[in-house]
Order: sequence, then C-alpha cells, then structure tokens
Amino acid sequence: MGAPLPYEVRSLGYPRRRKNGGHDRCGILTRMGQGGNVRIDVERSILRSADEAAAAIRALLAERKIYALNLISSPGSGKTTLIEALLDRFDGKGGVAVVEGDIETEIDAERIRKHGVQVRQINTRSTCHIQPSRLLSVLREMDLSETRLLLVENVGNLVCPAEVPLGEDARVVLLSVTEGDEKPLKYPLVFKTSDLLVITKTDLLPYVTFDVDRVRRAARAANPAVEIFEVSATTGEGMSPLLDRIEVLRATKD
Amino acid sequence: MHELGVASEILDVALSEADRHAAKKVTSIRLRVGVLRSIESENLSFLFEHLARGTAAEGAFLEIVEEPVRIECEACGISEARSFTFECPRCKRPGVSVTGGDSLSILSLDVDS
Repeated sequence: MGAPLPYEVRSLGYPRRRKNGGHDRCGILTRMGQGGNVRIDVERSILRSADEAAAAIRALLAERKIYALNLISSPGSGKTTLIEALLDRFDGKGGVAVVEGDIETEIDAERIRKHGVQVRQINTRSTCHIQPSRLLSVLREMDLSETRLLLVENVGNLVCPAEVPLGEDARVVLLSVTEGDEKPLKYPLVFKTSDLLVITKTDLLPYVTFDVDRVRRAARAANPAVEIFEVSATTGEGMSPLLDRIEVLRATKD
Repeated sequence: MHELGVASEILDVALSEADRHAAKKVTSIRLRVGVLRSIESENLSFLFEHLARGTAAEGAFLEIVEEPVRIECEACGISEARSFTFECPRCKRPGVSVTGGDSLSILSLDVDS
C-alpha cells in the first residue's frame, strides 16, 4: 500500500440555497482539515498578482490611447504572419509596436524588425505564457509616444496564455485548419475568453479533414459574442475583412 | 507545467496569511478550482509539496474543491457538467452558454497557531 495522497479532490458543485435560506458557499465543509486548530478565510484569486499587473498595463494603454491585441494559438498557426499582414496594413497609419513572446530565441523579433517597427522579444524560458508583470516592464522600457496599436504575440500554447489576461483590449485566438476541428472542445478556456477567432490556412482545406461549421458552432457555444474570420495568408483570401475589423477596433480607442 | 505558477502563488498567499495571523504551521489549504482551468491535481500537489519544503507550509494538505462547468440553457436554465460541453445536459439542445467553471481561488487555510 502506498502512502496517503497529500491532496484530495472533491466535486461539490455550485453555491446552492439551503432550505433554511442559508448559503452553502460552494459546498464548503465546516469540519477542519487534517490537524490545525484555526481556520483563516482567505477567499482570494490565485491570479491576483497577475491581475494587478494586467490592470497596470490596461491603465498605461488607456492613458496613451493604445489599442492592444493579445494573439494566442498553438505553435505554427500563423500569429507572426498575421502580425506581418497587420504591419503592412497599418504602414504609415500610426505607429504599431510589437512584443514577441517565445520560450527561446529572437527569431520572431528579427522577422518583425525587418518591417521597421518597434519590437521587443520576451523569452519566457520555462514559463509557457507571457506574464503580465514581464510585459509591463517591457512596455515601460519602450518608446510608445507614437504607438496606436500594440500587438502582443503570446507563447505558442492554447492552455496557459488563456488563463493570464495581459490587460489587452481584445484577445485573438488563431486556429489553423491543419490542427483539427476539435480544438475548441479540447481547449475550451481560450475559446471562451477570446473576442476574435481567426481560422487560418484555409487554402489547405481541400487536403485536410476540418469541419469549419463544427468549429464555428463550438466557438459560439463557448462565447456567443465571438467574431469569426476565415483567412489564408498565402492566397490573401479573407484577410481584408479581418484587417478592416482590427482597424475599426483600433479606432475605438482614438 | 502551468501548475507551477499556481502552486507558487498558493504558497505565497499561504505563507503571508500564516505570518499575518502569527501561525506556526499551515496544515491544510482549501482551493476552488474550475474544471475549465485544466489544473492537474496530482501535478499541482507535487509542485506545491516541492516548493513548500522548508517553509511553514511544508506537508500542508491540499483540499481541492472542483467547480463544475456552469451551463445556461434558454429552456432548462442552469445546469452543471463535469467537462466543457456545447449542448444542454438536460434537453441536449446545442447553443447553450458557458457561464462558469473557471474559478481559481484560495478559500481558506487551516493553521496551527
């Protein structure tokens, strides 16, 4: 027999009304845990310090009237390519600044730098997403006096970036058709929290099994307000409506 | 490994609360974790145990209250589910909205004073 587990998982459901009208907050037991003679009620979000940094970013962006997009997807879905398309669209229409997040290397930053815009690379090393505190310190180092649009490319990952708001105005999730149409079912949180869903590489649809309507249904179920775009950067199909929409969104902060 | 950041934050909160209440030892920590958070309990526990070594929270028991997905259906009202779903668990209609199940919070600590 093994040692007892140092944790216990209980599924106790949502707060329910008791018959006597009292509130059973998430079914919390009133007994003490193992040992211990004093209970301290904490009731605080584990993400509080991250939330505070995100709030500071939001304030910085509001003060400077910068519209920020947080781009999230699996590795290789087309985040950097979408950024390049946006840089072409906004060329000469007010400054765009880019923050690239990757575990390692400056490859993406160098790719973006060729477009002549301000770019910073965050290497997260062992962390699978951009931490808001890190983004905040990078933004404080940048010259954002001319910047109207900030593009933050998160680390390629559908799990952790979804949990960590960066103070962005809109969250964009990209899903390439080669990844399969079950992604919204497998990674629900990112689809629930994204404002825009961009289905990429649609020129490959004839070669893969990918039911666009299934993805649309699943994404709408996760977030009824989600705006969905289908694009191919290779053929250019569908890019204009997406870029137009982002231009309109950016103008909301003028 | 996204549990690492969560485990580290839990430890920080537990130690600062214990310190504030002049407690000697944290024996148990109760958490509320929504299933949409994709937190692996075993992984979280392993990382917490490792991080807490040598602190006042060493050996603390993690009591994880799992919050189900909350689904709102126009016809049936609010239901709960063990995992993300796109149809109402009662009437099986598609197009429901998901309105909860993403909590990630520390509810309480049990400490030795």
